Amino acid sequence: MTAGQAGLGALLLADGRLPVGGLVYSAGLEPGLADGMTPADVPRYLRARLRTAGLVDAATAVLAHRAAMPDARPDAGFGLDDVQEALAARTPSAPLRDAQAVLGRGLARLAERLRPDHPATVALRGLGRAPLRPVALGCAAAALGVDEEATARASLYDDAQAVASAALKLSPGDPADAAGWVLAAEPDVAALVRSAVAVRHPDDLPATTAPQAEGWSLTHQHRTRRIFVA
Amino acid sequence: MPENHTHDHTHAAPTRALRLGVAGPVGVGKSTILATLCRELADELSMAVVTNDIYTDEDARYLRSAGVLPVERIHAVETGACPHTAIRDDVTPNLLAVEDLEDRFAPLDLVVVESGGDNLTATFSPALVDAQIFVLDVAGGGDVARKGGPGIERADLLVVNKTDLAPYVGVDAEQMVADATSARDGRPVLALSQRDPESVSRLGDWAREVLRTFRAGQHVAQDPGPMAPHTHADGTTHAHA
Repeated sequence: MTAGQAGLGALLLADGRLPVGGLVYSAGLEPGLADGMTPADVPRYLRARLRTAGLVDAATAVLAHRAAMPDARPDAGFGLDDVQEALAARTPSAPLRDAQAVLGRGLARLAERLRPDHPATVALRGLGRAPLRPVALGCAAAALGVDEEATARASLYDDAQAVASAALKLSPGDPADAAGWVLAAEPDVAALVRSAVAVRHPDDLPATTAPQAEGWSLTHQHRTRRIFVA
Repeated sequence: MPENHTHDHTHAAPTRALRLGVAGPVGVGKSTILATLCRELADELSMAVVTNDIYTDEDARYLRSAGVLPVERIHAVETGACPHTAIRDDVTPNLLAVEDLEDRFAPLDLVVVESGGDNLTATFSPALVDAQIFVLDVAGGGDVARKGGPGIERADLLVVNKTDLAPYVGVDAEQMVADATSARDGRPVLALSQRDPESVSRLGDWAREVLRTFRAGQHVAQDPGPMAPHTHADGTTHAHA
């Protein structure tokens, strides 16, 4: 795979228009706003989200990328199953695991359509159950020739954009301001990418998964009026 | 996956369920038509349903409470306030829901997908459904059928619903059906009323016939298209593919 194709692969994975079902997901924003967070809190929420669940997801995607490419990383010493288990263990909320599984299946479906014979797609299929979103992202990225660092950045960017674009539906303001929140996260994202790539083993996966947001997700699953699954 | 191709040979008979979409504006009776289809067909066919509510799971709850199908065969999909996207440009969540139901209740004969009530331009992608019903009702105005749109003109079936209400809303139901028929170039139009058992059985017969041609490998999913054919200032008329 050429560098040019890999470049487009990273952009594709970060694009909200990618047909992987992202439209159902607000990255926890709708549950938060419904439970008393104010629209003025959204930029701070976005930042907190990146530094907690965002980091866990990005590091998971990096580990999945390595596990999916055993030939490239024979020293990895863990499989995709270990990565999936490590993330599930750090996601105590069942509705959040379910939402991650729906998004993961969307990505897996894309990989199956575009790169069915790639070893990373084969590894993803071999998981034998719905991959959580970061697990599927790491494998899809490997299948599209995207490197680890770009994979971690795509994961964080997608999370930030999920918050920003959901905010425009839930408490709309000037859409350029929402884009500005994402851009303002650049220093955080750069540092988080370094942290994510530095994680070597599922046992060392960070567990900073915001209990407040986990709690919100539990309330949200019983709401009869909602536009996002989580 | 072949889409929008034109040919006359017979496909290998499909092994999965027929996927039938029901679209149309808010309040025209889509959920009631789903319940009616279930009542008419569930004794003879193995069925499941996916609903796409815009803001609530009201439609799924209505169908569950109607008792027309076991509750576990009714699945609600959130649409992130994008009901149009969810049935047309990113059908992934709906496709996964359909595939889940097909796996869980195999072998299914028929899966019905109800769109979130949107406007006259929302139609299903052939990547999600094999055939689709577009629904209007007389209470929405007698002129709507004449105004046209992709669903009105090119859905596999157009239903003009609630014909029993026509006298009360000042609409000539027969004229509305005639307008719809002339807009559809020979495609079928069904005047439907829950109080007219004969019209209800015609709806069931239409679905049976689509299933028969689908199983025989003779049914080709059609895209009604994103836009109605329209006229330009220079007098040319065309449709956008």
